[in-house]
Order: sequence, then C-alpha cells, then structure tokens
Amino acid sequence: MPGDPLTDVLSQQVLADLQEAVGVDWVFSDPHRLLVYEADAQTAHTRPPQAVALPATTHEASALAKALHRHGVPMIPRGAGTGLSGGAVALQGGVVVGTSRMTRILEVDPGNRRALVQSGVLNSDLNAAAAPHGLYYAPDPSSQSACTIGGNVAENSGGPHCLKYGVTSRYITGLRVVLPDGDVTWLGGQGRETGSFDLVGLFVGSEGCFGLATEVEVALLPLPEAARTLLAIFETVEDAGRAVTAIISRGLLPAALEIVDRNTIRAVEASIFAAGYPTDAGAALVVEFDGVEAGLEPHAEEAARCCLDAGAREVRRARSDEERMALWKGRKKAFGAMGRLAPDLLVQDATVPRTRLPEVLARISEIAQRFDLQVANVFHAGDGNLHPNLVFDRRDPDETRRVEQASAEIMTACVEAGGTITGEHGVGVDKRKYMHLVFSPAELEVLRGVKKAFDPQGLCNPGKVLPDAPEAS
Amino acid sequence: MTGSLRSLLEEMVSPGTLLREGEGAEWAADGAAPAAILAPSSEEEIGRLLERASLEGWKVLPAGYGRWPAGGGPVEVDLVISTRRLRGMEHYEPADLTFTAGGGISLSSLAQATEAQGQWLPLDPPGGYEGSLGAAVATGVGGPLRQWYGPPRDHVLGLTVVSGDGRVLRWGGRVVKNVAGFDVTRLCIGSWGALGIITSVSARLFPLPEVDATVVLEGADATSLLPQARAMALSSLPLAAVELLDPLGWGETGSGGPAALVLRLLGSRDEVDAMEARVRRELRGQDTLRRLGDEESRAFHQRLGLWEEGAELVLRLAALPTLLGDVVGLVEEWQAALEGLSTRGEPQVSMAAHVGAGILRVALSGISSSDGSFQGWTDPVLGLRGAMEGMGGSLTVSSGPATLVREVGTWGSGGREVALLRALKNQFDPQGILVPGRVVR
Repeated sequence: MPGDPLTDVLSQQVLADLQEAVGVDWVFSDPHRLLVYEADAQTAHTRPPQAVALPATTHEASALAKALHRHGVPMIPRGAGTGLSGGAVALQGGVVVGTSRMTRILEVDPGNRRALVQSGVLNSDLNAAAAPHGLYYAPDPSSQSACTIGGNVAENSGGPHCLKYGVTSRYITGLRVVLPDGDVTWLGGQGRETGSFDLVGLFVGSEGCFGLATEVEVALLPLPEAARTLLAIFETVEDAGRAVTAIISRGLLPAALEIVDRNTIRAVEASIFAAGYPTDAGAALVVEFDGVEAGLEPHAEEAARCCLDAGAREVRRARSDEERMALWKGRKKAFGAMGRLAPDLLVQDATVPRTRLPEVLARISEIAQRFDLQVANVFHAGDGNLHPNLVFDRRDPDETRRVEQASAEIMTACVEAGGTITGEHGVGVDKRKYMHLVFSPAELEVLRGVKKAFDPQGLCNPGKVLPDAPEAS
Repeated sequence: MTGSLRSLLEEMVSPGTLLREGEGAEWAADGAAPAAILAPSSEEEIGRLLERASLEGWKVLPAGYGRWPAGGGPVEVDLVISTRRLRGMEHYEPADLTFTAGGGISLSSLAQATEAQGQWLPLDPPGGYEGSLGAAVATGVGGPLRQWYGPPRDHVLGLTVVSGDGRVLRWGGRVVKNVAGFDVTRLCIGSWGALGIITSVSARLFPLPEVDATVVLEGADATSLLPQARAMALSSLPLAAVELLDPLGWGETGSGGPAALVLRLLGSRDEVDAMEARVRRELRGQDTLRRLGDEESRAFHQRLGLWEEGAELVLRLAALPTLLGDVVGLVEEWQAALEGLSTRGEPQVSMAAHVGAGILRVALSGISSSDGSFQGWTDPVLGLRGAMEGMGGSLTVSSGPATLVREVGTWGSGGREVALLRALKNQFDPQGILVPGRVVR
C-alpha cells in the first residue's frame, strides 16, 4: 500500500524499499528526527516530511527515486536547508532526499579550470579545494560557509560579486541528474558543448522541481591578483544610490557595490559583530574592485571621487586583507545582527533596475511606515537586488498580518518599477502567490508544461514555484 | 500550392511584409525555395502568422538576415519569417548597463547605439556584425571573446519569444538577477528556432574598454604554438580572447603561411600596457611577438568574425581544453587520410581554436568533386565525430552542403536528453511546424 501524503503514514513496504536503496541507517521516520527537516531558513512554512533518506551516491539516489516513483510518493530534494523561500519543505507530504552524505570533491582539474563535485559539497569547501591551484568558484552567497553547491544550483544563487561575475548559472557546465523516475542522465559536462538546447541552464534555478542533481561540474576562475576595497559613509541612502549610479556611469565595473542602511548599521553596531560603521550615518556603501594590480588604484580613486561628489562624509580605504575584511564585516554580518531587532525576521528579496533604486527605496520606506513596521535594508546595489527585511514577532497575529500585506505591496512596487519578485532566494512556496505579477496565464501554462517534461507524474518537489493551475471550467 | 499560399498570406499580412518572389534566394534549401518569405513589422503579426501556420501545418524557418543560412542543418519549410523589421532599440538606460532591442537589430547597429554611451555587448559570433541579435541568441554560439566574457548565455537577461502556435511569451526581464520561475530564457538560447521566434532581447552591457589591443605570436603551425597558447589561456591575466589560427591568413591568402597565437587585450591604457608587459615576460624569447594598434586590432577582429565565410564545410569540435593538442592531432591525421578522396583541386583546411574553451573550428574548402557533389565525405565526418565522442567531446557541423549535413546530422547523438528535448519542444510548438527535424529529429 503506497504512503498516503494526507495521513502522514508511510507503509512499512515503502520504508523497506527506501532502506533497500540507501541502507537501513540512512532512512528515518522518527518524528523527533524529522523535526529538523520541517523548515528551511525561511521558517514561515513548516511541515515535517514523512521520512528522510540520505543517499551517498548517484546510484543510491537513483534507486531511491525509483522506489519513491513506484510508490507514488513525492521526493523533496534538499541541500543544507539554508534556503529562504521554503523550497525544501514537504508541504504536500513525501520524503526529503538530503545530499548531506554526498560531500566528495571528485576532481579539481586546474588544466581545464573545472571541478567535479557531489552536490552536497559546501560552497566554501569547494573554494578551499580550488585555492591551492590559484582558482576559485565565483558565486558567493552570504551563506557560503553553510550552503551546498547542489542548493546553489537549485536556487541559481547570487551573492555580492554578481555585478562583475554573474550568477551561478554562468559557472555550471554539467550536471549529473537523477530524474524523477529514477533515470540518471548527464546534462552537458566534459566540455561537451553541443550547441543545442541548454538543458543545464534550464535545470539551474529549477528549485528541485526537475529532479536531484547528484554531481555538478563547475567552471573555476583564476583568483584575482589584487583587490581594492572602499567604504563610503553617507547621510542618506539616496546619496549612496546616486554614488552607485555615478560609478557605473563613469564606465567603472566594480566587483561589488553593496549598501546597508541606517537600521542595519545600528543593528550591526549594537551586536557582537560591530564593525565600526558610524551609527548616525544614513547608509554605508562598500565598493570593491579586483583584477590586474595596474588598473586598480585609478579605479578606486575615481570611485572615491564619485562617492565624495555624491555627498559622502568620509571614504575609508582598505590597505591590507585584514582591513578589507573589516570594511566588509558590517555587510556580511548584517543578517546575523538583525536577530537582535525582534524574534522574527522576514528576509525579503526582489530586484529592480539599478537606476530605479532611490525611488523604490523611498516607496518601501513609505510602505513600512504605513503598516507601522521597521524595515532594515541590505542590498546588492550594483545589480539592483534588494533585501528589505521586515522585523516582527510571529506571536503577534496583527503584526504578522501587516508584514504579509507590506510584503505584497513591496513586491508590486518592485515589479512596477521594471523589476521582479526574487533575485536570488527563489520562489519556493513563499512567492507562488506573486508569480502572476511577472507571468501571464499563457506563460505560467508553459512553465507547467516544462515541469511536466521532466516530471510527468508531478512527484518531484510538488507545490513549489508554480501557482496551482486554474480549475478547468 | 505556392501560388495559393502566397495569395492567402497576402490577405493576412500588412503591406510590405510579404517579400516579392525571387527575393531571399539565400534561404533556398536543396534548390527548393520556400513558398514565401515574410518580414512582419510586429510581434503580433508574427503571432497571427504562426497561429495560422500551426492550424494549416505550414512549416516555418525563423530567420534574421540570412547570415546562418545553413546553420542548424537544412530544413524544408514553406515559410521563412524574418525579424529584420523588428530592429528598434526598445529600451536603453545606460546607467543600468542593460538594454532591450528588437530581435532583428543587427549587431553593428546595436554597437553603434551603445558605443555612443561608452558601452558594448561583447559578443562576436561567427557570421560577423551584420547578423541579427536574435540569431546570435538563437544559435547561442560564442566567438573568441568567450574567453573572458562567455558565450551568449552569459549575457542575455530576457527574451520575448513567439511560440510555434503564435503565443507571445516574455521570459526573464531586464535585471541582472532574476530567479522567478524556471529559466526558459536559457532554454531558448541555442534553440535554433525550434521553440519560437525571438522578437526582442534584453541583455547586459559592459563599459567600452579604452584600449583594444591585439598581440600576435607567429609560429610554424598550431601544434608548435600550442604550449604558449595553453599557458596564455590559463594565465591569471584577464585576456579577452586567446585564439590559435592555422594558418593566420585565411580566405584571401589561402592555405600555407604561418600559424599564429592571437591575444586580445582590453581595458584602460594602464591595464593593457601591464598585461602586454606580462605577456611578453611569460612568452619570453618569442621575438616574433607584435602588437597591433587599436584600429588594426578592430579590423582584424572584424575579419576574424567572418572566418567561416566561403568555406564549403565548417566543423566545430569541442572537448576539454587540455585535449586541444589531441584534437589538433586528430584533425591533422584525418586530413592526411582525406587525400584519397576525389576533389576538384587541392582541399584547403584552416583551423581556428578558442583555446580556453577547448573548441576547434575546422573550415574546409575545395572539397567538392568535379561534378560538384560531395561524395565520400559522409564516412570521414562520421569517423571524426566518433573519435571526438570517444574522448568525451563532440562534433557539430556548423555549415556544409545540405546532402552531407542531412546524412551526418548537425549534432551528434543524445541519450535520454532527446526525449526531454522533444517533450520541451512540444510545449512551445505543439504542431511541430518550426524547423522540423532540427535539434529534435
């Protein structure tokens, strides 16, 4: 008898088949152990899975997927659970298939500037393995010391350095994939540039809806020779925004352009992560250039001038790696520090064209005021990716409701400014309700069809990304 | 059939859309010209045409300016629909470093518009700058600049695509970071017209470099220059292009002559001078190293963009970059084995490698036999493909005589991927009217 997602009961036969696939030690359904898997880092959506299974190899993952498929039980792929859109939660029941045992770096191949890793390898571990060869893996989401490459593939993760280097999709050259029916296939890889449909590009960012990537081939870049980092302090976030526009308009291409606003600075400075940002400032802007030593100094000079012209009260320069880390600290620790502000934090994520940032920020501030909420902004200003974070207390139903309403208005404001509902955190469950803001019914229908091409039975991470299909009339 | 189809179309489209008979001979496949060539002036008109074509079963080839007539392999179609009248700049905000333009804009007019603002789209696909942006995206093929900037998939932010059954679909947007929904934009890049007609493209731009310099190191042949080429492709310098050409001169100079390693250096004057000094140090003892000036460099790369022009057969061999030496060796052996074939004259073989990407293009001319046919070429091409696939690589036929391409296929074989491709195509083109047989057989 197949497991029934609605009653949370997985039959002994299903459990036995899962154990057969990955070994008895690596399947569990004990409610206490399942609790860890009831949510990802976006804790608004919770539900424990019916079981968790942890394959160690592609072969095991394939056997597992075949068993689940045979029994009609949903498969929910999961990396480290650092996702911020509820993408790895078993909201419709099913079995979480975790990659935490697939942590082998299979090959670092400096001659071809590539690496082949199992999908459970941490982003920072890949970088540690590449560094001795003078190479690195460019996408650097803030969670990189905890998140997995497989998770980065599922979310098409970004990070502060996307302005110059682009997002995850650019660096994934091949994927070994267990399809929802358990078949194993390679998409791309081995320099196999076939020049037709880019199935690798389609799989990246599919949020676990097309299958489980078990091995990932990535492109590595040579570590930049040198870097220059500036921190500019502004009276207002609008001034910081104008500095960003000035820098880009001069034809400069920094590796990163990051802004934190007043509320964020205050949270950071009041926390154990205090970075020495002035608490009376309206905003702080981190500007970083990297590349060949020869070009860096003039670029940094010019950017500093842009900041001063835009009204910066001071520009700090890092002269060593240590100083560089110190300048970055207030930005990198922002999310950790926000924990001080209130019991709950809604980490928002949206993108607007860079030039629309000042007006969108003003609108966000107006929305927050109207709903009597505190918002702390952290954003990748170079690529228009905003994180307006709303602090609240989930135990207060009225405040929780206001946070939801404000979020919806913020999303609409970003889309109206020519942007989109998520820049790097994904749709997951959290943003299904906003998909109609960016896709027409016809486009949603095609997206459903694309999902169906990979997963005709609808068993792979069901209920994610796509809003429910309209009832046939 | 042809006459009645033309009169049907005449009633459907706005004046000027249906080209006159005899125009567009470049799209004749196997001597059988399509019944009509249309250049609609709006995506709605393309939508109406495709909707009707789906109902009637008219087969369609999407096109720009006909710069890739044989690209993707020969297909037999009733209609060619060109995007050449959708060539406007729809949105351009220089401070955003992004733009949106009609799929029919030529790369040269795009360059004109962006260069005026000190920006550029660093794409240099085969076919040169007179081809359309839409075609560059639909083929997804990068040129030498992919060494630093990557192929088209790394530049495109969003697309408007009219599906095979006439739906106008918008994917992605004009922001650099966008993970809403599945990445259909990436799927359409390199779809060779099989999923829809690209009517609009949004992409990111880069600051136009102050200096565009080229450094050339000549040598006897590709093999002798390979160690230096590999060293440059793996150097920590941000070199914009690392190309290996054998021979350096092509087309007008014919075969023979020296081979060359060509490096393109872009950046501020300081950066480029520093890079050149480093290149000279790292290639020390190479006294034949010479630097072209800004203008000479640009002209050189313009011509390099047309490298495939005039060849009778162009093969694209891809493998891991460390295997490039083996691939060159394979082609040389293969070339020697070709001598038994009866050709009109001495066949000429030119090679051009994107060294960092591990891609070797092989252009052949003078290979038809005296009766103008290409008899005997099927087995050698299939043999070379087999050898490439044996080393984990691939062989794509970029262009060639229709009869030959039909026999060997443009792409190699695929496994489960083929079933996926078919299921995906079905979502966009349920009646299968777009480039039937291409990509998905």
